[in-house]
Amino acid sequence: MMDQTPVFIIAIPLFASLLLTLIGPLGPRVAYGLLIGALSLSLGASLATMVRVVQTGQAIHYYMGDWLPPMGIELVIDHLSAAVLVMIGVCALLSGIYSMHTAGQDNHDRLNNYYALFSLLVTGLLGMASAGDVFNLYVLLEISALASYGLLARGGGKAYFATFKYLVMGTIGACFYLLGVGYIYIMTGSLNMADLADILSRESLQESVSIRIGFTLIILGIWTKMALFPLHAWLPNAYSRAGTATACLIAPLMTKVSVYIMLRMMFTVFSADYIFNQIAWSSLVIYMASAAVVLGMITAFAQRDMRKMLTYIIVAEIGYMTGGAWLANTAGYTGAVYHILADGLMTLSLFMAVGAIIYRTGDTSANAMQGIFRRMPITAAVFLIGAASIVGIPPTCGFFSKWYLLQGAVQAGAWIFVAALLIAGLMAAIIFFRLLEAAFFGNLDDEGLSVGHSAPHSGTGAVQMREAPLTMLVPLAVAGAALLGLGIYTNEVVTYLIRWSVPAGF
Amino acid sequence: MKPFARIILFLCAVMMLTATVDLPDWADPGSPASTHLSPGFIEQGYHETATPNVVTAVLADYRSYDTLFESVVVFAASLVVMLVLRRTSTGTSRIKHFRPKREGRDTILRGAAQSIIPVMQIFALYVLFHGHYSPGGGFQGGVIFGASFILLSLCYSLKFAMQRFKEKMVLICCACGALLYAGIGAVCLAMGWNFLGYAGLAGLLGVTDVMARSHGILAVEAGVGITVMAVMVSLYYDLASGGDMEEGL
Repeated sequence: MMDQTPVFIIAIPLFASLLLTLIGPLGPRVAYGLLIGALSLSLGASLATMVRVVQTGQAIHYYMGDWLPPMGIELVIDHLSAAVLVMIGVCALLSGIYSMHTAGQDNHDRLNNYYALFSLLVTGLLGMASAGDVFNLYVLLEISALASYGLLARGGGKAYFATFKYLVMGTIGACFYLLGVGYIYIMTGSLNMADLADILSRESLQESVSIRIGFTLIILGIWTKMALFPLHAWLPNAYSRAGTATACLIAPLMTKVSVYIMLRMMFTVFSADYIFNQIAWSSLVIYMASAAVVLGMITAFAQRDMRKMLTYIIVAEIGYMTGGAWLANTAGYTGAVYHILADGLMTLSLFMAVGAIIYRTGDTSANAMQGIFRRMPITAAVFLIGAASIVGIPPTCGFFSKWYLLQGAVQAGAWIFVAALLIAGLMAAIIFFRLLEAAFFGNLDDEGLSVGHSAPHSGTGAVQMREAPLTMLVPLAVAGAALLGLGIYTNEVVTYLIRWSVPAGF
Repeated sequence: MKPFARIILFLCAVMMLTATVDLPDWADPGSPASTHLSPGFIEQGYHETATPNVVTAVLADYRSYDTLFESVVVFAASLVVMLVLRRTSTGTSRIKHFRPKREGRDTILRGAAQSIIPVMQIFALYVLFHGHYSPGGGFQGGVIFGASFILLSLCYSLKFAMQRFKEKMVLICCACGALLYAGIGAVCLAMGWNFLGYAGLAGLLGVTDVMARSHGILAVEAGVGITVMAVMVSLYYDLASGGDMEEGL
């Protein structure tokens, strides 16, 4: 039973998704129960797999259909994928629990079909994180992309146009990836990652133009999917106009898993030596990443709509991870991988907190934050932790990832990236200080200030404590606690999981 | 914006043309794609799966995990289209669809449909079940079968087709086809083999491992066929009626 856990991670949400389309007549409660049950079981399987990986200290290979790798398809779960799988499982389960009220609100009818797509998206993400075959990865990329188009378009109204833009960009990205895989298949005859790595390390293929262009296409496709700076235009509108439950699921996971794919391609299929010595783009990519970080944060600063602000912060965070991965040293890589985990949780908790505030106030602009500490103390506390993590304040995990990234950037002598990281930290502090000031003192604008002064008692007296419902509050609190927990156990996470996956050649 | 787009297109074209300098020649028997894995599939495929059509053996057995998710992609497409388009008509819709009225009796059209549809459906089943021996299989058979329903609703009317193949039934077929596929995988797992290891069916069917793989391929192809057929019909229903299922083209 234990050696079957890798397949359970993916098969359980898949079955749940297929069953969810069939149980429409049984009502929304059954659908919700089935979704939560499936996501919990899948998370359990991920945890069991991670424990096995950590205990044995080597990757688990699962041969689909009992065919040995280059012929058949295998799942490979090593330290990196185990960590990402658990992150996906936790985020999906929390946003699944959280969705009880908001998903019903956004989907008056066909809630079970919405949940089926929800589950299918999680299947795709989990499948990508455990894939050991480049074509299999593409198929699951398509599944998660299709499911996310459907979920995002469910926001209605303006979401249709934003999603259509995302659909076009996402399809172009997927095509580039597939084309790149095609070139590499023609040159090597294999699709299995380990086998490809073996063939590509041969002297004759190191110089090949086709392989180089294949790699370029793959990386460009992944960058489109993960919204790296010049290719990010689709992301903010698509994510900020979606329903709350959808945004909580997609915003933390889609881009992070794309970063994971980039790391997989760079260091498992190709090698650190090939990427940094043969291709040698890293200085250019670090400029791009720095631009993403700084411009993402500046644009976030200019936003009035809270969710839009958060989506621009995602664009900036993608810059952190990309820069870390291309620094070509252990500290940078550790920072990038750790930031995948940290940023998933950070984005999740911020989106959930903002979603809860929007749910209660009905206002998506920054004005909704006024007096939040008095009205929704727990939500506001989680928002504070999430904000502290984005800024990079010590006990939260955001600090540690930034610490590693800074260390890596200094070691690599990438001063532009160091500057970008510091500027972005300051910008984030200003963005969140502005919001938190309003949240504490209840005044956002000058007009608000004058009203507050003229009638202080009416402001405080009228405010009623009205927290979000329990199904939203519990996942919020768990996400906030996880942010602190991940920060406190940074050392363990790095020692037991990330250090094992550092590619050879650093 | 347009000149900028042209520059990007030009750069992409240059990049892809440059990539061809290293590629092996067309149909080069010494190319990596034909020397690395293909000989293994061609030489052992029949002995391991009892399926003369190597393409089917690779698609539905060696790489059946991919094919499972390909059928799920198709299923997801119908689900997405339904979630986006399908709405219950309230009669107050702002969008008024232009729907040409049929006048007179379409004797020739309906007569032709009556004689073509049964043949199409039999042919679809043939394509599906003959996938082991000739080009064909679940995807192709399913598309032909689904097209027969589209022909029915084109030649008669959407309502007429929906009376025979109800929307609810279509959705059930969409999910059940993929469920059959994944279910076969789960049965293999329950029999102590890995997921989708069709040899696990040997004990249940009372045949050898090799024959069990052949039967497993057939069963999953049937699952793919059901899903693809239902998805074709579902997409047509949603797109042709604009989502309200009132009347189609």
